[in-house]
Amino acid sequence: MNVDVAVIGCGPAGLTASIEMAQSGLSVVIIDEYYRPGGRLLGQLYDDPKAPVHQRRWDGKKVTQELVEQAIRLGVQIVCGVTAWSVAPRWKVELSGSEVKSVQAKALLLATGAAEKALPMSGWTLPGVVSVGAAQTFTNVHQVAIGKKVMVVGVDPLALSVAMEMKHAGIQVVGIALPSQSAVTGKLSSPEDALSKLAEAADLAPNPFLRMMGRLVAGSLRKVAIHALSLPLLRLEGIPVYLRKAVARIEGEHEVKAVTLQDVTVQGVPTGREERIEVDAVCLSAGLYPLVELAQVAGCSVTHVPELGGLVPLHGKDLSTTADGLYVAGNITGIEGAKVAMAQGKLAAVSIVQSLGKAPSMSKDDAMHAVEQARDLSPIRFLPQILEGRAIMDQLWQEAWRKKEGGQAWMI
Amino acid sequence: MMTNTRLFSTNKDEGQRHVSFTFNGMELTGYEGEPIAAALLANGIKTIRTCEVTKEPRGIFCGIGHCYECRAEVDGISNQRTCMTPLRSGTQVSSHSSWQIEEARK
Repeated sequence: MNVDVAVIGCGPAGLTASIEMAQSGLSVVIIDEYYRPGGRLLGQLYDDPKAPVHQRRWDGKKVTQELVEQAIRLGVQIVCGVTAWSVAPRWKVELSGSEVKSVQAKALLLATGAAEKALPMSGWTLPGVVSVGAAQTFTNVHQVAIGKKVMVVGVDPLALSVAMEMKHAGIQVVGIALPSQSAVTGKLSSPEDALSKLAEAADLAPNPFLRMMGRLVAGSLRKVAIHALSLPLLRLEGIPVYLRKAVARIEGEHEVKAVTLQDVTVQGVPTGREERIEVDAVCLSAGLYPLVELAQVAGCSVTHVPELGGLVPLHGKDLSTTADGLYVAGNITGIEGAKVAMAQGKLAAVSIVQSLGKAPSMSKDDAMHAVEQARDLSPIRFLPQILEGRAIMDQLWQEAWRKKEGGQAWMI
Repeated sequence: MMTNTRLFSTNKDEGQRHVSFTFNGMELTGYEGEPIAAALLANGIKTIRTCEVTKEPRGIFCGIGHCYECRAEVDGISNQRTCMTPLRSGTQVSSHSSWQIEEARK
């Protein structure tokens, strides 16, 4: 198959990009491993207080459907259930799971998104233990309960949102607690750290109760909140949020039967007191990381920027990378919400359209400005230091560019 | 059994049709086009396979094809990720492959 542009990932970034590119007269194919288009957009269902009144309800399935219909009308080919297992410069995409074994394209857009970090603990491989993203997908997309009585492990904006979504869907959520201290949990197990992260998420949360939680621990109330850690528990729409209890282990012989909570100090150190709560499912939340494997395979420089969520492809403000003709958009550039991913998709498309000698619908500057606007209006902020992360990337890019101008190769 | 774990939702997919399928020979029903893992969970089935090495039970973990924990044999093809393999009428799902590997090692 020969196209102008191959897009890998049919989420908000890939779909939005493909629409802009097709409108400018380019032939586009989107490849996605999942059985249906939409990516993580599919699981999103909330009211956005920052959106205009008639656009408050954010129904990811509906948004997906509209984007897919528009893309198909413009002639974009959407190929789902197919894995892009390798990419090679200028640009060949190797496929498995389809009749067509490869795609040749003049430009390649990686919109691969993110995956969830693991949160290993005793009993975490038992059937009934799922990642918080899986809980969201099964609740909102497949509409099947992951259990009747669920414990959520991890106190962060995504975990709290999914806990409430499960409760609204009729699942009994018995509590939200931190993971116990271990070699892998680090700051995740600290009540103080969890509180300050919630404080940073205040006012950005999609749900009024989340915002309330955030404000409780924000600003001048911070000291009071730390003091409040000595209180037995907080409640989020009736769901107990245990800031002074941590999940020590998940129990069950063949499937999840219970979790054991232990009391911890403000620093997260166990005090020795334990209690057992019977549950039939557990959700683990440890945050997201960008999916960069294909960028690495493509020979694109990657760099570690913790403020963006981990290892990310080195990229410019216009979303070009160190590999000629390779562009990135969405969570592969750093963990943010769907609206930012969509604006980035449009920006990457504008850059690609221009590079291929066609006229985009807006200028690069306007598209860059739209990304910043989308960020300002985002209802949820996954990484508190995302702005610092973006600034670090801009600086790294300029440094790398200067080195290249000076006759040196790209730094790997 | 199925209605126990099916959730009410305001954004339900339209046009879903009930179909029959089997899991390790058991006759079950699910919605056509939903992932096999969702249909299994809706039938109260959480254990999809056993670990080839430790023999411990395994089920859905990430739900998006990343962790490979929910693999099963689907219509004779082994190691299919059930979280991203759509259910069809008459689909035969089994966890036999991994158990056969285990038997072969004895």
